Order: sequence, then structure tokens, then C-alpha cells
Amino acid sequence: MPNYIKVMQLPILLLTLLSMLSVKSSAQDALTAQEVMMKSHLAYYYSGNDGVSNVKMSIINKRGKERVREFVMLRLDKEEAGKQFYYIYFKTPSDVSRMTFMVHKDPSENDARWIYIPSIDLIKPISADDKNSSFVNSDFSYEDISGRHPDEDNHSFAESNETDSMSFVIESSSKEKYKGFARKVSYIDRNSFLPLRELYYNRKGVLIKEFTAEEIEEIDGIKTITVRKMTNHKKSSHTLVTMSSIKYNIGLTEEIFTERYLKNPPRKFMK
Amino acid sequence: MLTKHLLFILLILLSFSTLSAEMMPSGFFQTLWGASLESLNPAASEYTALETRLQLRLEHLGEIGEFFGRIDFLHDSYLNSSGRVDLREGYAKFPIGDKLDFKIGRQIITWGTGDLLFINDVFAKDYLSFFIGRDDQYLKAPQNSLKADFYNSKFNLTFVWTPKFTPNDFPIGQRLSFYSSQDNAIVGNLGELNFLRPEPTLKNSEIAFRLSKQIGNFSNCFYFYEGFYKNPVGAVIIDSALVPTFPKLRVMGGSIRGMISGGIFWFEGGYYDTRDENRGQNPLLINSSTRFMTGYEKQILSGLTMNLQYFANIMSDYDSYRQQAEARGGYVREKRRDLITSRISRLFYSDLVEFLSVIFYSPSEKDYYLRFYLSYSYSDELNLSSGGNIFGGDKIGSEFGQFGLNDNLYVKLTYGF
Repeated sequence: MPNYIKVMQLPILLLTLLSMLSVKSSAQDALTAQEVMMKSHLAYYYSGNDGVSNVKMSIINKRGKERVREFVMLRLDKEEAGKQFYYIYFKTPSDVSRMTFMVHKDPSENDARWIYIPSIDLIKPISADDKNSSFVNSDFSYEDISGRHPDEDNHSFAESNETDSMSFVIESSSKEKYKGFARKVSYIDRNSFLPLRELYYNRKGVLIKEFTAEEIEEIDGIKTITVRKMTNHKKSSHTLVTMSSIKYNIGLTEEIFTERYLKNPPRKFMK
Repeated sequence: MLTKHLLFILLILLSFSTLSAEMMPSGFFQTLWGASLESLNPAASEYTALETRLQLRLEHLGEIGEFFGRIDFLHDSYLNSSGRVDLREGYAKFPIGDKLDFKIGRQIITWGTGDLLFINDVFAKDYLSFFIGRDDQYLKAPQNSLKADFYNSKFNLTFVWTPKFTPNDFPIGQRLSFYSSQDNAIVGNLGELNFLRPEPTLKNSEIAFRLSKQIGNFSNCFYFYEGFYKNPVGAVIIDSALVPTFPKLRVMGGSIRGMISGGIFWFEGGYYDTRDENRGQNPLLINSSTRFMTGYEKQILSGLTMNLQYFANIMSDYDSYRQQAEARGGYVREKRRDLITSRISRLFYSDLVEFLSVIFYSPSEKDYYLRFYLSYSYSDELNLSSGGNIFGGDKIGSEFGQFGLNDNLYVKLTYGF
């Protein structure tokens, strides 16, 4: 009797396993556009618990003139897709060298930002109403650097999503009127969920900005965009961001993101 | 002599650059030319600035702390000698344990919440530099101090000890004329002025504390200062002549600053206690006063930031001041001096061009000060800017009214490296 049950159970067990597998694989297929964008948001802006990188920003205007900003950036995530801390220590150019900049990002309200100007020992909180304003005069906005929460936009798969084997193709439109874009098309890598290309259109349907991931490397097991480019089609300018000496999970704590370290850069994390 | 120094420094720099790029010092080279707009100005020269400066920054990061130095080599046509070496900063900074940071040496110290106005920040300032078009960083003057910061999870405490009193730099008639209450007139070109500074004794050292606590998005601070007024707002009689002095001062105050609907709000207040003054009885000393300010700053558009600030200075024992001042003749201030300031900062042309203006207007004194500049970043290294300082008022004795003949325009070229 017991043996009989076992024999009878085997196919059921197999069937159950199979059905579980198929459910899993169909779940993979059945990611909604919203879910893809959330995964992408996490892969791009929340990789690891924290991280440090040296950043070189080349801003090239329409006449080909180049300006360069170099800084060290520290990041700590408090919640996945939620609160984050950013810390930036400027190295060049000369007029901003040794300045520090700190952001307490909170997707549910305005970010809190502070700048420290060492030549006058001044900590200044910065009014942060406009997340679309340019970051250090580059073609990246503050929001391009620290991420726009996917819930602020409606997302759907574009027609070409079916035929594109490499990336998810997603159409997004802002829920509320937004200066950054009216419509956005994102190409999200199907494996790493990193954004490979993003096209930003204004309300008239004109392409205003374009993001491309130029180089992707695996660092500490995490796929990372190490060279990224933002082209501003309105201004015919572009900014190339090269990240080096990237490290994840270096043990940053919330204490680093306070006035004390704004005035005293945490050198041990900035080598 | 300075030329030799400069050559020597340049040689060192060159040898550094061949050694390693890491050790190459940074800094800037700057030329500033400014001219007075008023031909009747009694100041010594029509030029408000004719100077060239080289600033070098050197940093050494060690295992236990860091050293930082910032030196200005200045050629200033106003100085008798051909040049001056000015140590802007030279300090060592190191922690002791987890909770204590020390910064010792020549340094610039700032606290408080105001925009170009100060109540609880009684650290040295350089208003002469501020009024003739030098960079904003020169408004804060260095002082030789010991600063200790104590941090814990509940509050931060900062202690500053300045062994030798460091006064402000202010117009004394060479480049900028000013009001002399003794003469009841705008004066300039007086040669060397004599001030009686506090004796450099331990008893006369300056002490300042700040206790601060962050609550949500708001930074809350209490302040204490024991020292002297930084401007010569008192006088003593020596050999039947009035000699300006820096009266003893204690300041106690507080501030709050934080974000409200996407902008920055601040409020700060303090009580200026003239220690040797007895309820307004001594006409040679400034009366005590209560000062407060409040302001709000917001980014209106991308690249356009504006603020509005209100400041009040309310004199204690005003009636006795008034009687004495009227008996003496000349300028009599109001009990409450109001000041409204507004800053407009606008970035154009991919943020390469910046326009900035700050207006100070006092409804009680009917005087004003307008500060503006236009700056163009030709490249990361090269910046060209031009601006002006315009003063005026009904009364020649009021804070900005006394500078009415000092209107000036300037051009400035900066090369950073």
C-alpha cells in the first residue's frame, strides 16, 4: 500500500515540479513594463548596499570645447528604491577643488542638499526644487545622477519589444507634467536590466536628450555601466562620464553623510 | 625681494611637476583693477584696486591627519613695499578618538545662517576686500585659532579659542572714504589711523561655542561668544584725544535653518552685550543691541535662484544714546535699524555666464548698497568677470550712506590651475 502511493505520487510530484518551473519561466516572460523599469532602477541606481567611484565628467559643447570635472562619489542605500545618501568630493577644476556636496535623497519628497565651500568654511543648504536642473553644468540633470522613481511615470512595452532579443523596449510617459521629458523610450538589457539607451522626447515629440551606456563591466560581481554618455540634442552638446576605481559594499555608514564629514572628507573611503 | 621669493617658489613648483603630478600644487593667478566712479571722493586714490595675486594651495594627507596651506603672493599698488605674502590658511587637522576633531593654526571659521549678514558669527571679516571686488572668499579673514569639534549622536559641540584678538579689516580712507563722527564728515586719505587694540593677553583671548543639533531637515544651533567688537565702535580719551577702540563684547544667540516647500528658510537672533557699558551711560561705547534676521531662498527656475532676507538691529537704552548723540550733533541712528536684502543669481549660456546681484536696503536709514557682477568662464581655467559696488543714502553717517562716494567698478581676470 505505501509503495503504491509512492508510485502514484511520483508523476504528480513531477508534474507539480514541471508546472512550478513553467510558472517560473512564464513569470520571467510576464514581467510587466512597470516591473522591468523597477528592476532597471535598482540595477542602475541601487547596485550593492553602497559604493565608491572616481568620476570623470567631460562636457563637450557644440563647438567641441571640452570642460572636465573630476570627483569622488560615495553612495549608501537606506532602502531599496527608497532613501539614499550621496557624497561628492570635487578634485578639479581649480575653482571647485576640495568642495564637497551631499544629498539626502528621498523619493517621496524633496531631496535635501548641502554644499561645503572650504575657502570660506561655509556649509550652505541648497534649494532643491528643480530635480531637472543641470548637475555641475553637465548634460546630466540631478535626477539623471540619482534616479527618477519609476512610479512617477506610466510604462508600457513598445511594439519593438517583441522583436528585440537583447533589450526590453519600454515607453514611459510622466504622470504629472515634467520638464525633463513628456515621453521616454528605454532599451533595458534583458540580462542585467541596465539601461542601454534612453531617448527623451518633449511634448512636441522632439528628441531632446539621449542616454547611452558606452561600456559595461562586471565589478565585484555586479554589472556596472562604467562609461555613459548623455547627448543634449537641443544644445548639441554632450557629456561623457567615465567611472573608475569602482568598489561596492565598502561598509559606508549613515554617519559619513553628516556635517562632520562634509567638512572633513572621509579619506579612507576615497583612495 | 618678493620677486626672488616668487622665483624660488616657481622653481620648487617646476621641480615638483617633474617629480609627480600628484604633488603639483593648485591655486590661481588673478588680476583685479577697480576704479572709483566719484571724482570728489576724499580717498587717497581714484583706483580702488590695482593688484595681482598668486594663490598656492598645498595639501598633505597623512595617516593621523592632514595639513593644508593656502598662501597669497600679492602685488598691491596700495602697499608701500612691492609685495606681500599673506598666509590665508595654514593648519593641521586631526581627530582624537572617534568623537573629537581638532583644527589648529591659521584658519577661516564661519557659522550662522545669514546671506552675507552675520549675528553669531563674530569671526574676523574683511569688508575692505568685500567692497572693492575681491572674490567672495576674501570677506572672511583668517585668524590663528584652535578649533575643536565634539560629535555624538545627540548633538555637536564646537569650541573656538583665538588667543590673540583678530579685528575686521574695514575701510580706513586709503581706497574707500568713510564717516568720522568726530569730524561729522566723510573723510579719507588720513594716513595711518591709530586704534587701541586689546592687549594680547590670555584674558583678552576670544572664545566661541556652538551647540548644534539636526532635527529632521532643520539644523538648530545655540551660540556663545566672549571677546570684543570686531570694528572700532568705541573710543577712549588718551591725552585729550579720542582713540578708537574695540569694546568688550559678549554675544548669545540661536538659529534655525532648514527646508520648507523646496526652499531654504532661516532665522537667527542674538543679543550683543557691550560688557563695559552701563545702560547707555557711557557715550564713548556702543550700546548693547538685539539683532535678528530671517530669510528664504528658492530656485525659481533652472539656473535662477532668488532670496529675500530681513535683518533688524534694535538698540538697548536708546533714549540715553539719543540724548548724547543729539547733544554731540551729527548723525543719530534710529532705535531699530532695518535691513532688507535680496540676492538674484542667474546662470546663462550653458551655465558659463553668471549674473549675480545682491541689494541691501534699509527702510529705517534710507540707505542702500548694491553689489553685482557678471562672470564668464571662458574655460575651466580662465574666468573673466566685471562688477561693481554702489552705495548711497540720505545720511552721511549711516552704515551704507557713509560710503556714498565709494561707488566703484572693477574687472577681474582669474586663471586657475
